Amino acid sequence: MVEYRTHMKIIGDILSTTRDDLQDEEGATVTYLIRKANISHSRISRILKTLVSQGLLEQVDTQGSNKYRISQSGREFLQAYYTFTTFADNFGLTI
Amino acid sequence: MEFLLENILNLVGFLVGLAIGIMSMRGFRNTGSPTLFRLTVAFFSISIGFFVIWAGYMIEDFVIKSGNIERWIQTLGIVIQTIGYFFIAFSHSIKSFFPRSRYFRTIGIFPLFLVSSVQIEHIFRSVSFILLAYGAIETILSYFENKNKGAISVAIGLALLALGEFLGWYSFVFPESILYSVSMSIKIGGLIALFIPVSKIPLTKIKFDDNLE
Repeated sequence: MVEYRTHMKIIGDILSTTRDDLQDEEGATVTYLIRKANISHSRISRILKTLVSQGLLEQVDTQGSNKYRISQSGREFLQAYYTFTTFADNFGLTI
Repeated sequence: MEFLLENILNLVGFLVGLAIGIMSMRGFRNTGSPTLFRLTVAFFSISIGFFVIWAGYMIEDFVIKSGNIERWIQTLGIVIQTIGYFFIAFSHSIKSFFPRSRYFRTIGIFPLFLVSSVQIEHIFRSVSFILLAYGAIETILSYFENKNKGAISVAIGLALLALGEFLGWYSFVFPESILYSVSMSIKIGGLIALFIPVSKIPLTKIKFDDNLE
């Protein structure tokens, strides 16, 4: 059965990839994030733009390509996300 | 005895609703999740509903001293609580709660103008029962999917609140029986069960950042 992921869950997946599952020190490429988060290029582009503008991700220019890594605010957001996911799970809900 | 139980129930309901409401609100402010917003509205409504009834009893006991709480205050508290139960059930995506037909929507409102406040209270108690039973069933179903043990406690809490509502409504048929006291005891148990898993969430470890709103 296909699992439906909420927008919040996708953001959580992207942030956790950039925190725990990086290719190298500089960050993750868009292609890598697309594969890990399993969403389309157009959708992830919009989400990445929002996350960078909100200060949750840092955009790094390396050798002509953009890479993304999690910021301190992003780490705090991810911690809050995990805590409140557990909270909502207790009510049988997903955030 | 009934007065004491009523006061304990309303105070516990007010505090549990407030605690879970504040927790949901912090979650909403930090993540922007609509689910947490609905839970915030739900538990603040439940908290306010219990507080209204508790305040009604206090005013009656210390100021008016008539021996009976004003019926409209009790009804108002129950209506506000029902709104809270609706948002819990709504969070589980009630898709067919409102009738689709415009005719049924229109006549659905009429009975509220034709009945006394006592009957309105009965109507809202029965609506609360349905919403709570729905919430309990959905929560236990989610346990079978996620195996999250906290969901069992919440499901039991909602089920006990539903049973308490049902017995509370049924006690109008047998007013001199022990049913109303039993109903209140069960509801107190339900509120405690609801709070147990939530109290285990380690909120102190989170550094809340207001800029993330």
